[in-house]
Amino acid sequence: MKPRVIHLTVNGEQREVSVSPNDLLLNVIREQEHLTGTKYGCGIGECGGCTVHIDGQPMLSCLVLAVAVDGRAIVTIEGLARNRQLDPVQEAFLDHSAVQCGFCTPGMIMMSRALLNENPRPTEHEVREFLRGCLCRCTGYVSIVRAVLAAAERGAGGEERS
Amino acid sequence: MTPAERRYMSSDELRAVGSVAWRKDGVAKVTGAEQYAPDIALSRMWYARVLRSPHAHARITRIDTSVAEALGAVCLTFADIPKVKYNERIVSTPPHLYRDRYVLADKARHVGEAVAAVAAPTEALAEKALRAIKVDYEPLQTILNAEDSMRSGAEPIHASVRLGDAEIPIENNVAVTRSIQVGDIDKGFAESEFVIEREFTTHPIYHAQMETKSVVCRPEPDEAITVWATAQSIHNVRQLLGEIYSIPLHKVNVRRVALGGTFGSSIQVNSVIPICVGLALRALRPVKLVSTREEDMYDHVRYPTNIRLRLGLKRDGTLVAGHMRAIVDIGAHNIQAFPFLGVLAGFWASLYRLPHMKYEGRAVYTNRTPSCAMQGFGAPQVTFAVESLMDEIAHELGMDPIDLKLKNYVGLGGTFWGHGPTVQSIVRSDGVPELVGLGAKKIGWKERPRPGSQTGRYRRGIGMARGFHTSGVGHPKATGAEMIDYSGAFVKINEDGSVDVVQSLMDHGGGTLEAIAKIVADELGVPLEKVGLSPVDTRTTVYDVTTHATRGVYAGGAAAQKAARKAKAILLDYASRLLGVLPEALVIEPDVRLGQGVIHCPSLADRRITVGAVAKACQVNSWGTIAAVESLRQVNCPPAYVTYFVEVEVDTDTGNVRTRRAAIGSDCGTVVNPDLAAGQLTGGLSKGAGYALIEDCRWDAQTGELLSRGFWIDGKTPSVSESPLLEDVHTDFAKTYEPSGPFGAKGLGEASTNPCAGAYANALYNALGVRFYELPVTPEKILAALQRKEPAYDARDERRTAVAPAR
Ligand code: FES
Ligand code: FES
Repeated sequence: MKPRVIHLTVNGEQREVSVSPNDLLLNVIREQEHLTGTKYGCGIGECGGCTVHIDGQPMLSCLVLAVAVDGRAIVTIEGLARNRQLDPVQEAFLDHSAVQCGFCTPGMIMMSRALLNENPRPTEHEVREFLRGCLCRCTGYVSIVRAVLAAAERGAGGEERS
Repeated sequence: MTPAERRYMSSDELRAVGSVAWRKDGVAKVTGAEQYAPDIALSRMWYARVLRSPHAHARITRIDTSVAEALGAVCLTFADIPKVKYNERIVSTPPHLYRDRYVLADKARHVGEAVAAVAAPTEALAEKALRAIKVDYEPLQTILNAEDSMRSGAEPIHASVRLGDAEIPIENNVAVTRSIQVGDIDKGFAESEFVIEREFTTHPIYHAQMETKSVVCRPEPDEAITVWATAQSIHNVRQLLGEIYSIPLHKVNVRRVALGGTFGSSIQVNSVIPICVGLALRALRPVKLVSTREEDMYDHVRYPTNIRLRLGLKRDGTLVAGHMRAIVDIGAHNIQAFPFLGVLAGFWASLYRLPHMKYEGRAVYTNRTPSCAMQGFGAPQVTFAVESLMDEIAHELGMDPIDLKLKNYVGLGGTFWGHGPTVQSIVRSDGVPELVGLGAKKIGWKERPRPGSQTGRYRRGIGMARGFHTSGVGHPKATGAEMIDYSGAFVKINEDGSVDVVQSLMDHGGGTLEAIAKIVADELGVPLEKVGLSPVDTRTTVYDVTTHATRGVYAGGAAAQKAARKAKAILLDYASRLLGVLPEALVIEPDVRLGQGVIHCPSLADRRITVGAVAKACQVNSWGTIAAVESLRQVNCPPAYVTYFVEVEVDTDTGNVRTRRAAIGSDCGTVVNPDLAAGQLTGGLSKGAGYALIEDCRWDAQTGELLSRGFWIDGKTPSVSESPLLEDVHTDFAKTYEPSGPFGAKGLGEASTNPCAGAYANALYNALGVRFYELPVTPEKILAALQRKEPAYDARDERRTAVAPAR
């Protein structure tokens, strides 16, 4: 398949990448951009480990073709903290020990960040509803839900810098 | 209580153990910087793919890789690999290691078995090459359950396996049997006034760790290899690779990378590791192999069991005799069937005192995904059976189940079988009564409904179960060791007062390494921030058996403490030279203002020096580096007790079960990481509830394919929707101190899930008045049981009160 050049803004940086028409955004992010914080967990939309923001919307990068996001702005987990200043959601995950093995963490944080962008003061029910598609085998989710609610309480909503 | 115990039981001390801080790997994990095996990328690296058998059982008559090779791929088949039969879990001692597999299969024994592999410059080309490989199979009889497998005339799955230096024949597909006897059960049952026998079935489930098993191997110019792999022990990966590929161990370097959860699925050296190494050695360049989720699901499952349990008691509830017969379907390979049969007996014997017991276990090969250890290794299975039966007995005898259990349980002074019949030690700390009391109060045990007394659509029930996991594998009896169990650590004090801990111990994510840092900090008397966990590999560390058997903190922590203690003795010796005071008169304490440890003599105000100043003086005077290396095997294997109280709500229209509340209590001795310890318990609840109610792995009876077909969703891993609301989950810790553990700590991790299924089964009995003997208790089984119990039951009967409780 013939490669094609696309333009992306990745974590605020302009990027020009050559991709095959069948390249998944997940693989482009991990292998060409070397941003390995975005995780492969299933490749078919079952686990949420590959969640990134595309123009501010949370998307499963394993279900998105790279050519389909030509010209769009992508934010990955590596793009949340700026100048070593953690995003409040990241801080809340650490404060509430919502990180065990950490493999679900990038997806969970990107999803939680998206929730707070759209709904700065979610109820517990809303948090659970929003994170339904993100699997975590370690924590039993309790600490994660607590962290997201705590981040909201701290007024973390709508603060994403992109 | 010794002064040390007092110190660690009080909370007002300046100490790291028991404190809560951001975990040291936390920032890396929340920013995406942490590296797991699949994140390793090297220059000139090729990608590997594995060709897997579509047949559950088949002879492989021919493999043609010529087209694949013409595409530019490097191929590996059975013809190319060293003919070394191995066992991937080299934790058992060599006389007990049943070896039945090769790097690539000589014969396909389950769907998904690795038959050939390719490496190519891109993943796409590797996939293309893989599809170009032609394999001729000669299908054989597919055997998918233990019963069929043992039948005479059944197709042998393995004709023979290796044990020690001998090739031993396998008869009737029985991989191994074990019988264990204590006392005289005939006498015991004759003395019993109440005898009950039930059959319990537990099912296989998928580990569902988030990271799929992965590996990167780089051949080095000096014929060495460097390996990054998903593994619970880097040293065992090194040793097995050295053995298979005849590489001297100093030329096999395995580096530690973070683990994306394992839950037991990487105790063994994963099958993809030697495959990737074989490819890299052929391609002579780095090769990366990342399992797909589907491949991973065909790799391992939890051991399913069939347990027939007979118990005899006195009328007053005193247990007298027990007989257990267990059949274990191990799937296509024997990974650890021998120790598994041992722990089924041992965990059973350690739940309740049995003066007379007999155990007969049989492990049987079938043509399905191999069974391997999963969190609890035999304890979830046996605890479900025993705790269900104890609940039933209590109701039969008209006793409160809690009273029956407290009357018989193995507690302080009792003998605990930490790892089968050969590893036993005396219980020296016991928080069971405290935990039972706490849990009963939180859940409202006394107010629970009478079993089967409800009639509405939604019925609630409360159930209780208790259990434990071992902390490590302790010391063997004089009859000889079945298991290897030790850890080592290297502790070095730097010239600014900071400390490097160099230890090959693995952290599954639960906070094992965090605990190590805290233990070392407190042993040395330096602030936690000043303790660093070095990146490690096998060349620069001493051996650590593997993070399994809930041994990380208890055994790995004790090894680190021993090394720190020795380094401290050296440090105090040098300090004594500098201060002119005997080392015995000196103490070290963290100084918040100075941000490091300060050595001083409590009786002489002017004799003070920082840890860093001593280390610097040692360097400037060329006295040497303050460092120590130690190895340690724990002699004890203390039980890490856990109690579960759950309240369920059953929708009798749909059969769905909702967890309303849960109160989980843990006796892990001194709690080293309070926050992460609570996280272990809530994680244990999620996995335990999944095991009890929904998760399952089944195979198509004809084809031997997983019915989930490798779709994770169909494996039914619980999501956040299944977890109870925040205010409905309670976690508590007993105030105990384990004398043999580092600062009084014992294990926790695996225990956190072990009694869970039993608690659900008992809660369902309480809600519905029906006993369930087979896991998982799915909505279908609940509806069928209700239909049997209440013949007038009609799922659509609107006359029944249908008041949905608030959610
Ligand atoms: S990898 Fe995209 S949802 Fe699992
Ligand atoms: S922390 Fe391990 S999967 Fe969520």
